[in-house]
Amino acid sequence: MLSMLEEVVLLTIDDRNGKLRATREFGTAYALVGALFFDLVLAGRIDTDTEEIYVIDQPKQPPESDGNLSLDRVLAHMKQHPELKTVRDWIEEIYIERGDLEGETLQSLIDRGILRHENSKLLWIINVERFPLVSNEPQQHVNLRLAHAILSDEIPPTRDIMLVSIANACGLLGYVLSDSALETRKTRIQWLSQMETISRKVTEAILELEQIARTALPQ
Amino acid sequence: MHREDKRHEMIQVTQENRSGWTVVSVSGRADASAADDLETALCSAIEGNSKIAADFAGVTYISSAGLRSVVQAARAAQVHKAEFVVCAASPMVLKVFNMSGMQNIVRIEEQLPC
Repeated sequence: MLSMLEEVVLLTIDDRNGKLRATREFGTAYALVGALFFDLVLAGRIDTDTEEIYVIDQPKQPPESDGNLSLDRVLAHMKQHPELKTVRDWIEEIYIERGDLEGETLQSLIDRGILRHENSKLLWIINVERFPLVSNEPQQHVNLRLAHAILSDEIPPTRDIMLVSIANACGLLGYVLSDSALETRKTRIQWLSQMETISRKVTEAILELEQIARTALPQ
Repeated sequence: MHREDKRHEMIQVTQENRSGWTVVSVSGRADASAADDLETALCSAIEGNSKIAADFAGVTYISSAGLRSVVQAARAAQVHKAEFVVCAASPMVLKVFNMSGMQNIVRIEEQLPC
């Protein structure tokens, strides 16, 4: 099974040409941070309430079993900084400390045989980096789960609620469903996105940065 | 960030039948350490019965993991076409329900139906 982080990165790949899709400003970076925290939740390593985040000291799964360097690194960082308490503090902290989270996750998808890496030149000068899908199946599986979670009236599994909420926060749903479908299901998307504290705080962080960026631009 | 002091307050779940309803009474902290047990208790009650009321009067705290357990119980109720209602939650727990929009997914009532 792919991690939430891998699923979100897979959503950012254009299936027609392997290029990374543009999302909302700051969207992808924050979405990756949110996905990383959801992976920690799914691994039983952290819990949240409406504001704060908690490291679970005695998870049911032993720490060694995660096998995910990004998660282990973030968890170690969290344990070193008990002064940071809120979900929002930690989203900002890991946003700053994220390093090449996207590159690491792309590499993981290449290692799994889902993507391949291509470098080419545009007009013999400009480097163009692409990540074509080796098979469309994993991305289609993610797309189908998102579409089903949004278009049906069924209560989705936990993982799919998380996926909708994070894809919505960073503006990736437009690559999965048409504008009219998204408009029709707007209320349901809002319900699903509101359910998870991590996504609510990711959305807040993106909106705040967008606001700062707008204010900073000359009128 | 660590809540070791509160984690000893284990969740307790009991089940009884009243006036055609299966009442699952929950007390304690509904957090990550209790979430699996809570979800299992609610889902097993839902699988064998058609009208299930989760009595949350004794729930002192609910985290995101606890909320997910309730949502997945509501999902099981939808699959089994069972009536599922969460009742008597404290103002603190209700505040968390409201912030996460639980009322859009799960029927929440002030009092038990029986």
